[in-house]
Amino acid sequence: MDIISQLQEQVNSIAALAFNTFGTLQRDAPPVRLSPNYPEPPPNPTEDSANFAEQPKLMSAALVKAAKQFDALVAALPPSEGGEEAQLRRIAELQAENDAVGQELQKQLEAAEKELKQVQELFSQAADNCLNLKKPD
Amino acid sequence: MATATYPPPPPYYRLYKDYLQNPKSAPEPPPPIEGTYVCFGGNYTTDDVLPSLEDQGVRQLYPKGPNIDFKKELRSLNRELQLHILELADVLVERPSQYARRVEEISLLFKNLHHLLNSLRPHQARATLIHILELQIQRRKEALEDIKRRREEAQRLLKESLATLDGQ
Repeated sequence: MDIISQLQEQVNSIAALAFNTFGTLQRDAPPVRLSPNYPEPPPNPTEDSANFAEQPKLMSAALVKAAKQFDALVAALPPSEGGEEAQLRRIAELQAENDAVGQELQKQLEAAEKELKQVQELFSQAADNCLNLKKPD
Repeated sequence: MATATYPPPPPYYRLYKDYLQNPKSAPEPPPPIEGTYVCFGGNYTTDDVLPSLEDQGVRQLYPKGPNIDFKKELRSLNRELQLHILELADVLVERPSQYARRVEEISLLFKNLHHLLNSLRPHQARATLIHILELQIQRRKEALEDIKRRREEAQRLLKESLATLDGQ
């Protein structure tokens, strides 16, 4: 996949990681004591708290890794030489050169085909002469 | 339940009855459309250009100008994005009711990122064209050299065979 499509994919995956992170954390967060008036929230089963402590770490690590990957891809972009006009000028130059080389090629091709025809003519003449000179025994 | 058959082909085929005998007796193909046209009730334009962010009502975060340093802008937008994500996490912890503004800013950053990447595409297209032209020129030059060499070789062989025949 070309570099710009990879960059676009990377942006989309950063977005996906971000909202997965927030969504998961928000859905699975244990209740927290808001005000001293209300009693402590009831303790939760251990399954939640054991995995839960690492989830923010894992998910944020994935997010940061994706961002670093994006930076690496940006560094891998080819250097943009000049602007639009420079590119258009280069295209015009290349087109002119291409036309010149094409015409040269066409000339050489025609000359080569002419020579080929000549050689074929001469060869058929020589073959005819051979046939005529060779006496059947 | 009523089912409809496929629509019949357009009736223009009758005009091309004698096309094989006389290609001029049938009408010319329609000329290419210019400007805007309507297709199945939708308006399309023939001039495909990336609409600028202001046209879509989105604030542009990276500087405008003739030549943008894409790498620098992409990197700074990435950093801003990370900072905003962190801010959102903070806001959710401390003042959960104010998430909307942060979420809006994050989506603004994403729109800017995608717009910047899309504006790289014309540049990529021109660079591809340049590359193709260079390859074509190189191939043509190689073919030219090849033909020259073969012609010289053929001339040499003819001279040699002439010399051999004369010496005989």
